[in-house]
Amino acid sequence: MTQIPVAFVVILSIISLAGVGFYCLLATRNLIKVIIGLQLMIKGVAMAFILGGNLTGQLNLGQTMALTVIVADTIVAVVGLALAVQVRHRLGTLDIKALSTLKR
Amino acid sequence: MSLIIIILVIGLPWVGAGAVLLAGDAHDKLQHILAVAFSLAAGVAALLMLPYTSKAVVISLNAGTVYGNFTFVADGLSVFLSIIATVIGSLAVIFSTNYMKGEAQLGRYYAFVLFFIGAMTGLVLTSNMLLMFFFWEITALCSYALIAFHNDDPKAVRGGIKALLITSVGGVGLLLGALLLFVYTGSLDYNQFLANHSSMPASVLGVLAFGFLIAAAAKSAQFPFQTWLPDAMEAPSPISALIHAATMVNAGVYLLARFYPAFKDVLYWREAVMTVGVISALLAAIMALVATDFKRVLAYSTVSQLGYMVYAIGAGGVFASQFHLFSHSIFKALLFLGAGAVIHSVGTRDMTQMGGVGKKLPFVKWVFIIGALALSGIPILNGFWSKEMILEAGLAGGSKVYYGVMVFVAGLTALYTIRMVWMVFYGEPRSEYHAHPVGLAMKIALAPLALAAVVSWLAVGRFSILLGSSLPYHAIEPFGLREMFHEVIALPTLIPLAVIALGILCWVFRSKLSGLAKAFDWMRWLAEHSFGFEGINSGIVKATEASAEGLRVTQTGMVSWNLLAVLATVIIFFTLFAIGA
Amino acid sequence: MVYVLVAVGILAGAILAIRSKRLLISAIWLAVTSALTALMFYLLGAVQVAVIELSVGAGLVTVLFVFAINISGEEAFDLQPVMPKPLAWGLIVIAVGLTIYLTIRGGGLALELQASADSPTILWSDRYLDILLQIALIFSGVLGVLGLLSEGEPKTQKEDQA
Repeated sequence: MTQIPVAFVVILSIISLAGVGFYCLLATRNLIKVIIGLQLMIKGVAMAFILGGNLTGQLNLGQTMALTVIVADTIVAVVGLALAVQVRHRLGTLDIKALSTLKR
Repeated sequence: MSLIIIILVIGLPWVGAGAVLLAGDAHDKLQHILAVAFSLAAGVAALLMLPYTSKAVVISLNAGTVYGNFTFVADGLSVFLSIIATVIGSLAVIFSTNYMKGEAQLGRYYAFVLFFIGAMTGLVLTSNMLLMFFFWEITALCSYALIAFHNDDPKAVRGGIKALLITSVGGVGLLLGALLLFVYTGSLDYNQFLANHSSMPASVLGVLAFGFLIAAAAKSAQFPFQTWLPDAMEAPSPISALIHAATMVNAGVYLLARFYPAFKDVLYWREAVMTVGVISALLAAIMALVATDFKRVLAYSTVSQLGYMVYAIGAGGVFASQFHLFSHSIFKALLFLGAGAVIHSVGTRDMTQMGGVGKKLPFVKWVFIIGALALSGIPILNGFWSKEMILEAGLAGGSKVYYGVMVFVAGLTALYTIRMVWMVFYGEPRSEYHAHPVGLAMKIALAPLALAAVVSWLAVGRFSILLGSSLPYHAIEPFGLREMFHEVIALPTLIPLAVIALGILCWVFRSKLSGLAKAFDWMRWLAEHSFGFEGINSGIVKATEASAEGLRVTQTGMVSWNLLAVLATVIIFFTLFAIGA
Repeated sequence: MVYVLVAVGILAGAILAIRSKRLLISAIWLAVTSALTALMFYLLGAVQVAVIELSVGAGLVTVLFVFAINISGEEAFDLQPVMPKPLAWGLIVIAVGLTIYLTIRGGGLALELQASADSPTILWSDRYLDILLQIALIFSGVLGVLGLLSEGEPKTQKEDQA
């Protein structure tokens, strides 16, 4: 156990979070699930920033960047959920395939 | 001083465009007056530039380290073409005051005409390739906007878009050349390139040469790009006179003439140029022989005469080609304006419905005949001298087969010209039409052009000195009247003259030759279908639309598929890193 | 050791979040993942961001999700995804594998974590632009939500009058 370097474990965690989040974006049809997937991916990104800050010794820089990312992603979640509520209210469905109106 | 004049020549038309737009469509008399005033002022400014012609750089605006200097040089080629653009432009504007009287949206019309005149002078006056491309595209835009001026007519809009697309293909060739120039010589100034063109690797020089040939062929409606010019005749006649006879289509010939010293040693370039010119001249002359639309005949004739100029450049006679450009601008503008007067008064463009117009419009008949004589190359008029000089240059610098074909085309030129004149002005009216008289402004525009068609060849001496002294790389010697007489009034000239006479006789005795004409019916069918080029055009359009329709399946509009594409790209990149890093 | 446990927990929480059939359960698992992520941040030495992540990610966002899910109601959840699942899975696995391989090749195994610094220094000491950016973001988010939530009856009233 002690031979596995800790930084690598963190890197593995980041990559797996990003992968799971991306898979959720690819393979879901519900609008709210899409937002959940986005949240997961962005957690991985924030973790990457923090790890970077730790490795290079510039902890504050890493924290500010991670914080910016978290704020942005929170705003995305807020506005996205408001959108989802309105879409459900007016169009009656949250299915992204039914919502896509491009002529096929 | 020349600095101010150059700024005036390019800037006055643009200021005029803005002024006409500001005047508003409610004050159309004011718009007419403003347009005429500004274009005449630009013409005067261009004429004032004559004494200051030199190869020195006049204006040099530093545009940063990337684009180098935006330089303007007023050498002989530039000054002569800008004089043609502004003077013929002002005559076309004067003609328009009568032709476009009572039309709607005059502001748009005059603004684009003036914008075009300024852009054309800018194109020839600049020596920075990027600026040249910029002005080139502005002229293409104005050409489209003016062809499609009656934008409720689908034919006009289609003609405009066709012209825009085909000339833009040429513009790509020009841009490619400019970029290659920048990469290999470090600057965008073509004078530097002409000074040491041999320092470029031969393959790059070849790409540059043929790219410019494509650009010039597309702009000047040469083979294989000649299909846009006949369809551009939906434009009002002053526009056809200005843009599609006297100025914009000359830009291609200008490009070839400007870069001739650098490209003349590229393998097969001169042969390619001559071939393009000869094929264009021949095809267009045959198509003019069977066309029934008055302006279409003139359009084909323009393609054919431009073919002569391109042929001359390929054979090495740059001066002959520029002299013919000078004559052609004058008589072609005269012919188009005359045709415009006839069409405006009679109300149709179809020659089969005209006939006997000469009795009703005698002034137009006489000026048109002068233009037609110049086009056919009848002695004394300016077309004769320049066409003979081209044929001499072709005999000296090119193959005899091409010379023979070009002499034959000269005969065809005479034939279709006299056919056109006869069908319109002589004979009995073939349909009921009402010819209302030609206005004063039209006569004012037509008269100077007719006079110039008779006497412009007298300026050949000064013209050659103008070009020779300011174009150091072109090796043009002074060529006065005596040399011209000596060269032209010689034995080889008799052959083309005989062929021209033969052409005229063919028309006069056409009823006796009708059996011969029937034997060539297959050729008539081919010519009426423009030798398959329209078919090629519509085939390309259909193929593009079909492939776009087929590719629509990739645009699903769903985020999941787009993200899949992102993921696939990431995988490809990482694989490349893994393998190649 | 702690790191490994937290990493495994994050992975499990994420997978469970996307695999559950009911949206509310997904939101709960998202909250768990956020909490574990905050713990990871703390272990890496970023104390302030850990606190913020805990309160925002596991608190605010979860409340928002629950709120939205309750308003919009649940839907029938047996719809087939847009693309075949094996395709998505396969590509993700390939991408993840390539990334890990490139990380190892770039010397990822030799990285060392620094010990967490004790002195709390001021965040944003010289990143004023970031502050401005976040203020702008929050402002636009508030405007967007207000705009979205107020889209309601007035529109239909205009249609009745027209």
